[in-house]
Amino acid sequence: MKDPAELVVDAVDRGIFTVDRAVFTDPAIFELEMRHIFEHTWVYLGLASQVAAPNDYFTTFIGRQPVIVMRDATGRLGAFMNTCRHRGALVCQRRQGNARYHVCAYHGWAYGSDGRSKTIKDLDTGAYSEHFLADDHDLVPVARFGEYRGFLFASLSAEVPSLEMHLGDMRFFLDLVVDQGPKGIEAVPGSSSYTFRANWKLQLENGMDAYHLTSTHPSFMNIVDRRNAGESANRLKSLDFAAYRERGGFTFDHGHSALFTPNPNPQVRPLFASIDELRSRVGEARARWMLNTRNITVFPNLQIAENASLQLRVMRPLSHDLTEMTIHCLAPVDEADAARDFRLRQFEDFFNASGLATPDDTTCYEDCQSGYGAGIVRWQQGYSRGIMSVQPGSGPIGESIGIEARTHQMGAAKVQDETIFHAGYREWVRLMKAGLARDAAGATS
Amino acid sequence: MSGIDPARVLSEVSAFLHDEALALDERRWSDWLDLFTVDCEYWVPAWKSEDEQTSNPGRELSLIYYGARAGLEDRVWRVESRRSVASAVLPRTQHLISNVRVTGSREIPGVSGAAEIDVRCEWTVHQYLPKERAVELFFGRYEVCLVRHPEGLRIARKKIVLLNDYLPARIDFYSL
Repeated sequence: MKDPAELVVDAVDRGIFTVDRAVFTDPAIFELEMRHIFEHTWVYLGLASQVAAPNDYFTTFIGRQPVIVMRDATGRLGAFMNTCRHRGALVCQRRQGNARYHVCAYHGWAYGSDGRSKTIKDLDTGAYSEHFLADDHDLVPVARFGEYRGFLFASLSAEVPSLEMHLGDMRFFLDLVVDQGPKGIEAVPGSSSYTFRANWKLQLENGMDAYHLTSTHPSFMNIVDRRNAGESANRLKSLDFAAYRERGGFTFDHGHSALFTPNPNPQVRPLFASIDELRSRVGEARARWMLNTRNITVFPNLQIAENASLQLRVMRPLSHDLTEMTIHCLAPVDEADAARDFRLRQFEDFFNASGLATPDDTTCYEDCQSGYGAGIVRWQQGYSRGIMSVQPGSGPIGESIGIEARTHQMGAAKVQDETIFHAGYREWVRLMKAGLARDAAGATS
Repeated sequence: MSGIDPARVLSEVSAFLHDEALALDERRWSDWLDLFTVDCEYWVPAWKSEDEQTSNPGRELSLIYYGARAGLEDRVWRVESRRSVASAVLPRTQHLISNVRVTGSREIPGVSGAAEIDVRCEWTVHQYLPKERAVELFFGRYEVCLVRHPEGLRIARKKIVLLNDYLPARIDFYSL
């Protein structure tokens, strides 16, 4: 195994940042990513509103590991490994539901919604040893579980900073999502999952990639033009990439990043219908930030895109060349019917494997993965736009909103900055190096 | 139902559904669009859980929802524009329609010979992806409301229940 630091050349002071294509193609590196990244940092699980009532649950994964997130009878949230302590079967079969008890279908061991062992079938006739009886039979909890304003995260390693520290001032950008409704936000009923045959980091990058819009999505842009010009009878209004003039981005510690574009046409946002309520509740400045187009990445598996509608997407890497995406449409709780309808149509128009934009993205990811077959080409040239304009710290705009960022890049939208990707790779290197050091220490002890 | 021969109606709507399927498979997009009324509803619900689809497209997510044919026209325009990499290499599709049932029909008062016909059937689409050299399969149920116009039947409403909604990277109207 190569030193992961050698797979990422981070020398921005000399105008260089590049990534070895092996990070997308090598199954051994994927294995290490699962162990040292997905199983060793905070990973997004879901929204608290998905488990709103006592005994509500949903099942998901941390990396490759199956997890149940449950609210117990007293209302306390917890996350546990979804595997019976007895022989390992999934304790919970369904994606979501409500259950006071989860009974393993194999040998009938039962667990409460607090993860505690309730009964072991025929315990008294089992001729068990004292050792067994003294053992803990509860579902194994995740090492760390945390919530930030309804966003649920967990880590399979206890050696992580607090969730607040991990998120840092990405919290500002999560606040801009949560505060869009007086009663908060919710995932609209109905979600979609799709897979693409490419590495998960292609999505990680593309979610923050301003450079691809005009070349990957010309058909979408043309359709928006045709609607605006009356050449299409479809009256749906949507965002106009071509109208963007300025753009800015922030990177944060722990791999997170945020991209924003002042929206010249905020009236084409469903949120605009409640602009007066927003201004009076959160103030003029935050209301304007909410109407900006924004894309954020909470490393390693959460992205929120606020351009057409408001999309939350969760990445689940399945192998080095296969990734599962689960997407939700977010909306203010109790949103008015007209705004909700507008939001849904915009979302369906753009996103999802059945939308008019996402399939062009995912096709490009798959074409990249196929192109990496050209193994003699080692280094990517896709991390260099903006490298001479990126600055350390938060910059005046970041300071004006009181956030502490690692870097900022602001200016003409045409820069279409790629330094925003650096944050994810810096965290990738940090976690991989720490993991390999742990492995080396384990091997020598 | 008086005056309408059920066997004849079944035969007529079956032939119509087969023609629609063939228009898609032969990529005769314009012919396909002509089979819809201008104000048709075209709806592919999403799923809320293992067992339940979304039922209210105004409040819940759909995979595709259009309240007019213009939405389908946008999709056809996109494919024909050759500016969408997702449809740069189109799948070779094969629609199979089966179990056609007429579940209701109503004469439209005041319009001689006009009627609305409710139809349900099962469908599968096998498709071959020439670029990936792979096969994909989609299947489900159509719930269709047809109206009889002077020039023939037209689709006023088509609800497509997609049973296998764990999707590959792309799915569009020609695969449904």
